[in-house]
Amino acid sequence: MPSLDYTRAADYTEALEARLVDHLDTAFPVSRRSVLGGLGLAGSAALTGLGGSAMGQGAGSDDDDSGFGARGEYENTRFDPHEFLTQFNTGRDGQDNVPQRVFEENGQTVREFEFTAVDTAVEIAPGVEFSAWTYNGQVPGPTLRVTEGDLVRIRFTNGSSNPHTIHPHLRNLRPEMDGIPQNGPGELDTGESFTYEWQANPMGVHLYHCHSSPLKEHVHRGLYGAIIVDPDPERVREHPEEYVPYHPSQITDALREDLVETAKRRNYEFIQRNDYDLNELVMVMNGFDTNFDVDNEVYAVNTRAFAYGVGRTDGNGNWQAGETKRPIQIDRNDRQRIYLVNATEFDPINSLHTHSQFYDYYDHGTTLTPTHQTIDTVMQCQAQRGILELDYSNHEPGLYMFHAHQSEFAELGWMSFFEVV
Amino acid sequence: MSDERSEPNGGVTVEEGQTFGLPRWVLALLPVVLLAIVLGLFLVGNPFAALGTGGEPLPDVTISYTTLPDQGTILVHVTNNGPNAVTVSQVLVNDAYWNFGVSGGDRTLAPLESATIEIPYRWNPGWDLDVTLVLSDGPTVSHTIVAPSTSPGVTGTILGTLAVVGLFVGIIPVALGILWFPYLRSLSEHWLHAVIVFAAGVLAFLAFDATFDAIELLERVPGAFEGSLLFVLGVVGAFFAVQAISSWREQKAAAGSERASSGLWVAYLVAISIGLHNLAEGLAIGSAFALGRVALGTFLVIGFMIHNVTEGPAIVGPVARGERPALKHFVAFGVLAGGPVIPGAWIGSYAFSPTLGTFFLAIGVGAILQVVWELTKMAQGDTGRAATPLNLGAFLVGFVFMYVTGLFVTV
Repeated sequence: MPSLDYTRAADYTEALEARLVDHLDTAFPVSRRSVLGGLGLAGSAALTGLGGSAMGQGAGSDDDDSGFGARGEYENTRFDPHEFLTQFNTGRDGQDNVPQRVFEENGQTVREFEFTAVDTAVEIAPGVEFSAWTYNGQVPGPTLRVTEGDLVRIRFTNGSSNPHTIHPHLRNLRPEMDGIPQNGPGELDTGESFTYEWQANPMGVHLYHCHSSPLKEHVHRGLYGAIIVDPDPERVREHPEEYVPYHPSQITDALREDLVETAKRRNYEFIQRNDYDLNELVMVMNGFDTNFDVDNEVYAVNTRAFAYGVGRTDGNGNWQAGETKRPIQIDRNDRQRIYLVNATEFDPINSLHTHSQFYDYYDHGTTLTPTHQTIDTVMQCQAQRGILELDYSNHEPGLYMFHAHQSEFAELGWMSFFEVV
Repeated sequence: MSDERSEPNGGVTVEEGQTFGLPRWVLALLPVVLLAIVLGLFLVGNPFAALGTGGEPLPDVTISYTTLPDQGTILVHVTNNGPNAVTVSQVLVNDAYWNFGVSGGDRTLAPLESATIEIPYRWNPGWDLDVTLVLSDGPTVSHTIVAPSTSPGVTGTILGTLAVVGLFVGIIPVALGILWFPYLRSLSEHWLHAVIVFAAGVLAFLAFDATFDAIELLERVPGAFEGSLLFVLGVVGAFFAVQAISSWREQKAAAGSERASSGLWVAYLVAISIGLHNLAEGLAIGSAFALGRVALGTFLVIGFMIHNVTEGPAIVGPVARGERPALKHFVAFGVLAGGPVIPGAWIGSYAFSPTLGTFFLAIGVGAILQVVWELTKMAQGDTGRAATPLNLGAFLVGFVFMYVTGLFVTV
């Protein structure tokens, strides 16, 4: 594997210097020279290997980095977790690798997607490849975005060397569409195809995954993704009691209007048409066992360890965004909504904890009022999911960390940042 | 074929120095050239393609040892034993991804390549560390550093200290043991033989000791170096090397050489083999010291002194009869037998490797075995029997003595 070549290293150092100087110029009254001098010292120490190495072999770890975190940048460009955050496939528009269309059929909106199971290698930590089984070549699989009451039609072809299915966590009324070995077409062998039809119901953020045996392996190898079912504001107006955990007698007109408005802000088409100052992010928590010990070596949101971390830091409050490892930049004026899904195998639970921030949480996304209000840590078992709504409008610009509050998971890759601007 | 002449019986007479009419050097090279051609065809034709299952050979990476130069650094010494290059993509310390550097700057190790991985990690003395290397396709290699403490590293002071330790552990006890020489001269033939066999017992015990140490060390020898066979090579090689010297002496003695027939040769052989053993002992002391694994306390040094003092009479036993050798020989005995502790300790502290350690131990074992053989021949005396009750008892006493004193010196 190529390490940083000298030109790139030099560019990198220059960028680091510039950034550090800029940062310090504004933050502290420090002369440019003293900063560069310090960097020079660090650099020469790295070159001569004097940086703590008694062997003097110039082992050359990056001395201006604090030790924690995965070393290096990602090399594989087939998947970008930063793009994945906001990639929604609606049938009307979506990713190139997900052929899709939307049309009316018997008075119902049909959203049709072509799914193909493919075996491929995914990079899960810089330089570490994992032999994955995927939907359409990516882990997590493509995020589907539909509206409640739609028909979701998946034309599925198994191009993988193992038999697979797609099982949706939806309220499905036809058993043969459940995507399990014991029903319908069962496990689809290599080369076989089947068209799944699912009713988009209920509203919420849901999971789809392969249900072939052995289940642990088929899930852990990467066959999972999110399907978001948006509320239909008209339906909310008619049946508001289905969207809140209240008795129908408690529904006032004011509440009804409020719920309709909330439903619009949850609905992708309304969001596209209106300027709600809203930013939506999909985060699928996952893990990878690279050495077959039934324990994950890598934890992440959206597959890549530390993909939303800082590129490098000196551990003294200065940091530098990396090419592939960088915080998620968010506008402080936008409300942030996270569709959080737990697809972690081998561990009973996973979690999301925000630093300096509390949020409202909608478990499964199946209600329009929060199921947890003002929390900073939420726990999910496997397949559990929910919606988080965060407000950074009062926060000063800067880095805000969020991570699994299982410290072990955090240190094994599930460690991320928002950069509020 | 002008060289050939037909014989009446149909045979062919060939000129001296030529076979099939070819010069001898061609005949020597012919099989080699043919082998090269066959190998070439094999590589080009790949006739075993049908046997290929597509299975890659498994990666095989060994962490030979770790050093902790200071409390902010872990150095991991790794070797790639496998037939394919491997890339150390990530490093975990106690289940957390950590930054690291690889000596030479390249994270990919060619087959048989060794490297040092430097991890800037603030560890705590006494709290075990688990270091795991994550290779590019996911397999992991783990190593637990038990009760970590700072490795002293190599400084002038430390080399000096090790020299002093070596002096006390190696040279002084051997020299003191040699001082038994006048007493040995006063012994009757029987008792002198007993002393010599006692020395053989001491050495045989050391051979066992070194063998078990080597077996322990073998597990950490990188697989590609075939630790067990390396040990066999060391033992057999050293045995025959010493045997060759010994045979050469016997030939010279048979040819009437005065010096060669004296016991001095045997004494030197004993001194050299004990020296080899002490070199391995020095390696153990030095590496334990460098890895911060041992407090070289007074007790340990005293233990080593008692342990090694018996090596003195083992050396001078063979020269107890006949003319007293010049004093310089005694000095040489002491230096040859005890001195190697010092370079051993230096090597051990600076560049200890299980491979080197195993090999030195093996050489010591081989040399000792030959010398034991030599000593028992010497103890035969006029009767031609070494296995007298007295001698057998003395051999056993040598064993027991080393066992008991060995209890004091566990590095």
